[in-house]
Amino acid sequence: MGRIVLENVTKSFGDAQVIPPLDLTIEDGEFAVFVGPSGCGKSTLLRLIAGLEETTSGKIMIDGEDATQVPPSKRGLAMVFQSYALYPHMTVRKNIAFPLRMAKMDQAEIDKKVEGAAKILNLDDYLEQKPGQLSGGQRQRVAIGRAIVREPAAFLFDEPLSNLDAALRVGMRLEISELHNRLATTMIYVTHDQVEAMTMANKIVVLRAGHIEQVGSPLDLYRTPRNLFVAGFIGSPKMNFIEGAEAEKHGAKTIGIRPEHIAVSSDTGPWEGTVGVSEHLGSDTFFHIHNSGLAETITVRADGEVGFKHGDRVRLAPREDVIHRFGADGLRIE
Amino acid sequence: MSDRKLPRLLQTPAVILLLIWMLVPLSLTLYFSFIRYVLNNLRRPEWTTPSFSNWRGLGNYEFVLNSKDFLFAIQNSLLIVGSILFLTVILGVAIAVMINKAFPGRGIVRVLLISPFFVMPAVNAVLWINMILDPVLGLQGLAVGGINSVIASLQNAPLVGWFFSLWPQLEPISFRATQTSAYAVIIMVTWQWTPFAVLIFMTSLQSEDQQQKEAAVLDGAGTWSQFRFLTLPHLSRPIAIVVMIQAIFHLSLYAEIEIVSRGNGNKNLPYLIGEFANNNIGAASATGIFAVILANIVAIFLLRMIGKTLME
Ligand SMILES: Nc1ncnc2c1ncn2[C@@H]1O[C@H](COP(=O)(O)OP(=O)(O)OP(=O)(O)O)[C@@H](O)[C@H]1O
Ligand SMILES: [Mg+2]
Repeated sequence: MGRIVLENVTKSFGDAQVIPPLDLTIEDGEFAVFVGPSGCGKSTLLRLIAGLEETTSGKIMIDGEDATQVPPSKRGLAMVFQSYALYPHMTVRKNIAFPLRMAKMDQAEIDKKVEGAAKILNLDDYLEQKPGQLSGGQRQRVAIGRAIVREPAAFLFDEPLSNLDAALRVGMRLEISELHNRLATTMIYVTHDQVEAMTMANKIVVLRAGHIEQVGSPLDLYRTPRNLFVAGFIGSPKMNFIEGAEAEKHGAKTIGIRPEHIAVSSDTGPWEGTVGVSEHLGSDTFFHIHNSGLAETITVRADGEVGFKHGDRVRLAPREDVIHRFGADGLRIE
Repeated sequence: MSDRKLPRLLQTPAVILLLIWMLVPLSLTLYFSFIRYVLNNLRRPEWTTPSFSNWRGLGNYEFVLNSKDFLFAIQNSLLIVGSILFLTVILGVAIAVMINKAFPGRGIVRVLLISPFFVMPAVNAVLWINMILDPVLGLQGLAVGGINSVIASLQNAPLVGWFFSLWPQLEPISFRATQTSAYAVIIMVTWQWTPFAVLIFMTSLQSEDQQQKEAAVLDGAGTWSQFRFLTLPHLSRPIAIVVMIQAIFHLSLYAEIEIVSRGNGNKNLPYLIGEFANNNIGAASATGIFAVILANIVAIFLLRMIGKTLME
């Protein structure tokens, strides 16, 4: 079990209110991802749930029980930190066993659980080593192992992959997703990387300055972003925003169109511009189009083989059915 | 090869200087410990100048080993150093952990805590033995006298008088006596060196990783477990440093011993060396060599012990 409900939770440090009143429900077994720009209060929110910070007001319910005043160790939640926070003087085995040892479990059972976790995480060969002798990815696994053995009601991850290199990050992302499928335990995952958010989440919570901007499944947010902030935050490369006459034609203050929803060719399409930088990824090519008269740059995705060069005049055809319209208040117009 | 020559060449003066610095005194001590060398001897004036012709072999060592104070001095050295180390480390860790938390007036408390370290050893000894530990005029004497007079007056009180008449008169302890002078030295040096330990441990505590602590909190570790499994191992290196430095310093305690009892019932190796050196330089040098050996044994033993216990 691991249903977490926040009711009217606020958090202030001194006079600064970091989290304004906030309501959020995370269902049992869900993989919820908190995303948002740096400093928006993601970590603070996670630490409030963990109990490492006290709420200024409001209620935190875990599995239907008020946990607001419950000390962190009694909430049944496990946390994985960005810096791993392994105990440097203990071997991997002792690190993973630590929560069980604190729970006064007997040694035979501890050994069994530690070895089970080590098997899941491919740590068998490293059990007798100290954290200092491990690579970043292995340390991250140990931290996850330490969380798994406790069989928590929910896992809390605070940017667990941001210290890893790109390739390893992709690998660990998959491993954590697989772990979620296998354990079916609630996971709350903080990141500012929207690719991690899109690929891992069942439910994405987009935060800005402590406010929840939108909650929904990755595709919900991709298809129907509620406002300009979410529209710009979700999706890579960023959505193109166009204002002025072209937007008014659609009856909006601003219209948004994603790079993958614009076709580029030499002769068809209502818009026109010159190719600036082109980024060839092999599978895709991203063109940055200038002088279109619509916005300073328009980013367009094309096939990897499309070969326009710097300075070429091209025509752009947006898919009319996926143009997002936003009003003067920044909110989506249906 | 050639690209290494220049750095080596440049290091040479420093290395040679260091070698001379250390080797000359040690060799001289070794040399003196194998010859007859006294400052004053009317019958054998040739012994008053060091020379190979006065070779005595291991005679000086034999003489020292057989002297009645030698074993006692070693035991006493170990007792004093061991007790001081034990007390300063325990007190140092306890105080450092206590003042590591934020509280109003922390800055002042820290400065006050460090201040004993700036008192000169001889002054420290004089202050303690005369003003605090003196059985009549010191704080101890006054306190014991005060308690005794309170009890005496209570003995005449109605109702509870009979109860207090059962109490004995408290006797102040004389710390200059043969049996207790070592304890006086231990007390005063502990007072003086605890701040050193606190200072080292405090800086180390400030570099402790807070996320590890938070992880431990979530793992269900209470205050004691956090201390035992995180803070103590984190402090193991600073503890080793404190122990090593203090062992070196306290094996050569002198001023305190001289001031408390002039070595009466309380000698350590340096004091013994001092006594021999009044005349017999050969024996003093041999004792010095024993002191070097003892210091090394103590160092190795202590490091092993700390390494084992704290690293789990
Ligand atoms: N202990 C604290 N005292 C005062 N202010 C704090 C404290 N912790 C966080 N804040 C403030 O709260 C705000 C949110 O911080 P938080 O660490 O939650 O951001 P974040 O979304 O996790 O950012 P990042 O992506 O950089 O980790 C920041 O403006 C920060 O300055
Ligand atoms: Mg953060």
